[in-house]
Amino acid sequence: MGKRVLLADDDQLLASLLNFRLKKGGYSVHHSPNGKEVKEYLKNEMPDIIVSDIMMPYCSGIELIDYVRNELKSKTPIIIISSAGNEQNVLTAFELGANDFITKPVSPTELLVRIAREINK
Amino acid sequence: MLIPPNQIKISLITAPEFNLEYLWWLTILFFVLAVIYFIGVFVIRNRITSKNSRTKDKKVEFSPMINEFLFYEDSNTKEEKMNYLNLKVQIRELIKNNFDREVLTEVLLDLRKDLSGNSQSVLIELYQDLGLHHDAYEKLKSSKWQVVSSGILELTTMEVEDSYGLIVRFINHRQSTIRKQAEIAVVNLKEEGIKYFLDNTKYKIAEWQQLKLLDVLRHKPNYTPPQFGLWLTSTNTHVVLFALRLIKYYNQSDAEQSIITLLKHKKREIQAEAIECIKEFHFVNALLTLKLVYTKASHDIKISILDAIGELGTIADVPFLENLQLTERNFNIKGKVIGTLNKIDPERILPTKNIATTDFYDVELDELSPDFEGKSVEIHEEMPLYNTIDEIDTEIEVATVATSEEVENLSVSWSFNEDDISSQLTEEAVSEEITEEEFTEEELVEEVVFEEAGLDETASVDELVPLENRKINSIDDIDLSFLPHIKSDYSNEDNTEETEEAVAELLEHKAELEPEEELEEGFSFNFLPLVVDEITMQEEEEEEDVVPLEQEEFNPLFDLYDSSISYEHTEKVTENYSDGSEMIIEEIDWSALSAPMQEQNDNRVLITDADAEETIISFEDDGISFSPNFMPQEELDAMVLLENIAELGDCRELILLYQIIDEHSSDVVINRANELIQKFAYQAPRPSELFSDDHDLAESVFTEVYHLADDETKFMLLNEMMIVGDQKEIQLLESILESESKLLVEKATEVLDHIKAHLSNELETTTSSIDEEFIFDLDFELEMKEPTEQKNTSAREQGSTLFDQLCAMSNSLYNKKNG
Repeated sequence: MGKRVLLADDDQLLASLLNFRLKKGGYSVHHSPNGKEVKEYLKNEMPDIIVSDIMMPYCSGIELIDYVRNELKSKTPIIIISSAGNEQNVLTAFELGANDFITKPVSPTELLVRIAREINK
Repeated sequence: MLIPPNQIKISLITAPEFNLEYLWWLTILFFVLAVIYFIGVFVIRNRITSKNSRTKDKKVEFSPMINEFLFYEDSNTKEEKMNYLNLKVQIRELIKNNFDREVLTEVLLDLRKDLSGNSQSVLIELYQDLGLHHDAYEKLKSSKWQVVSSGILELTTMEVEDSYGLIVRFINHRQSTIRKQAEIAVVNLKEEGIKYFLDNTKYKIAEWQQLKLLDVLRHKPNYTPPQFGLWLTSTNTHVVLFALRLIKYYNQSDAEQSIITLLKHKKREIQAEAIECIKEFHFVNALLTLKLVYTKASHDIKISILDAIGELGTIADVPFLENLQLTERNFNIKGKVIGTLNKIDPERILPTKNIATTDFYDVELDELSPDFEGKSVEIHEEMPLYNTIDEIDTEIEVATVATSEEVENLSVSWSFNEDDISSQLTEEAVSEEITEEEFTEEELVEEVVFEEAGLDETASVDELVPLENRKINSIDDIDLSFLPHIKSDYSNEDNTEETEEAVAELLEHKAELEPEEELEEGFSFNFLPLVVDEITMQEEEEEEDVVPLEQEEFNPLFDLYDSSISYEHTEKVTENYSDGSEMIIEEIDWSALSAPMQEQNDNRVLITDADAEETIISFEDDGISFSPNFMPQEELDAMVLLENIAELGDCRELILLYQIIDEHSSDVVINRANELIQKFAYQAPRPSELFSDDHDLAESVFTEVYHLADDETKFMLLNEMMIVGDQKEIQLLESILESESKLLVEKATEVLDHIKAHLSNELETTTSSIDEEFIFDLDFELEMKEPTEQKNTSAREQGSTLFDQLCAMSNSLYNKKNG
């Protein structure tokens, strides 16, 4: 069984595509379409890496980082997916403890490389 | 027969009788319509919801298929390849349904936005493989503009190059949305699209559209831009403007002449963009055209032009800018002109507004001089020349710059080069090498009063020391606070003003002299022995200490023993440089010296014109010789007059200056007079033509103020004219009628009518002439005919500057209003 990846994205199409690619890359992927589900999942299980969109319903990617780092006290690597021109949010994410970020449009292959790098650190 | 009022019955409210049956029918009708409406909303909403639901389901259905297609690799296993083929067949079956095709297209378009890299390329290929672009082609044939527009967008997003020929025809579509979409598509789909677009577009290219097109070009991989200078000749001005921007963006500087020509374009935007290009590419050849265009340009273009001149201009453009500084009336442009001048020639124009005068500060300039601030001055030896001063018992008050207490601390650093001094400063009786000189308060027996500010002194020194003998890096390097100054009868305020002028003058001369002079170690003292004739000093190389001058060897030009100097009349002694320029040294009343003094100094030398060319100190045969350098009295008078004119005069003194040139033969006087003529001839603020015979407007007190005023003030002045105006205002008002704006002309007409009516009434009632009371009898023309001395005093008292006259006019107006 591969490393566990939590994919948090409300865009079903993109999430499905990334899910497919990550699974094809050997990872075990859990997809959550909103922040609430992500928090519920994290209470029960901590993945090896979290890939989260910044803009999500109920709980944004920024709040998710804060939750993971300050409430769960976890050092699980977090990669943020953000839209271009959303640099301020990216900076905030880094301040809160995000490990990496990738901007849309996303290259699935590139994401795979970044995930591998963070996990292997 | 009348009906009694109590029998008249008028109902206040009258309403027709209404059949209740109709009311029921209307109620039923509204109810039915409401039901139909709600049913309609419900049905439509359900349809949309179900369609969305179906679309969502279809997307979920299509998503894994698309994923398979996107991430299919040739290295896949046989099972995966079989699966891929099955999916392809399956998806082809699905897209036979129009709805499915729409959903699939929508999915691919969404993913196109979110994906990059190889996945994006595969996605685009898949779109065309499935033939979805044919649906987009069909959309282009639609009569609905939104359908056509979405079709163009789809083809552009999916980069269907084959659609280029179909989309091109929409470039000049009358529907702006289609047109703009087509423009972007054409530029995006093919590299030559931008050329076709610029060649063929007939419509305006909006700013936002230009930005979008530029963004498309920027993101095109491996894009080689064409020479956009080719479109500078386009008949569509928007194409020209866009081409200029593209030229600037892609740094295509090969269209210099075309861009310079566009400076003369009628459209401001193109002018402005051309100026930007000229600045960007540093087209120096454009300077002439920039100046040419300037006169007829709008304010914003003028500012842009000035900015460009600031970037490209050289010192040769300064006269043009100086001329603009005098002629421009717009505050912003004038400020820009000054800024440009300072950019080309840094600190050419210094701040003048809201700058306090020197006398505003209680601190004396001497105290702030570098000599006083930081230099530790040590004087080891007595200066021979000061010994001679010690022995001159005069009533001249001689003091150091500072107070007596300060004198104790005051020290002077003599940074002489020993070799220079040994070769230059020699005297028969004194042959020691001077190294340093120290003097204290005790050694200055006489009361030495330095009234002049330190900078003034340095100015004099700077001018007096022969250039070839200098090695001083700056004027601040010379400590001159020890120099005695003859007390003049000027007040402190006058001195302050003079000091400021001297500083300004010094700076001017300094700037003139700097490139020429090669300063050497040490400096000469030809400014010191103005009263000494033929004093020479000899050096002894073995000794370093300075030996005081022997009294018997010292032959002063005139003896100050028991003589008194009257300071009531002062003259300016001028010193001549070798280059012929002359400077005022100090104001001394030479004529007031007593006769005995003159007798004791038989060897006094009265300077002639030829002598004026000589320096005061000459170095010959390893000796130093001092010779007085006086002007003839007549020449001196003329110089004093000229200096007064320089200080107080303006362009009205031109006639007098020409007279002075005619009357005097001295080069010094003529040169100075010519300088002043040039200076005053250059003065623009006073519209001298208004005072000419042709325009006899000077009679009106309002003339000068009016021509310097803004519109609001002009209205106020016209109102004043209506109240106090008389015959003398008529000419001014008539001139206003010819030249001013409509509102001012109306007002002037009104005032003119009023004055004329008033004058006609006055003529009938009284014969007394108002001319005698008229307040604006400017006497400055008469002043010039008065004797020079009187003129000097009256000029100071009454003031002949423009400001003084304005004040006088306002006072006169006030007096006239109050009888």
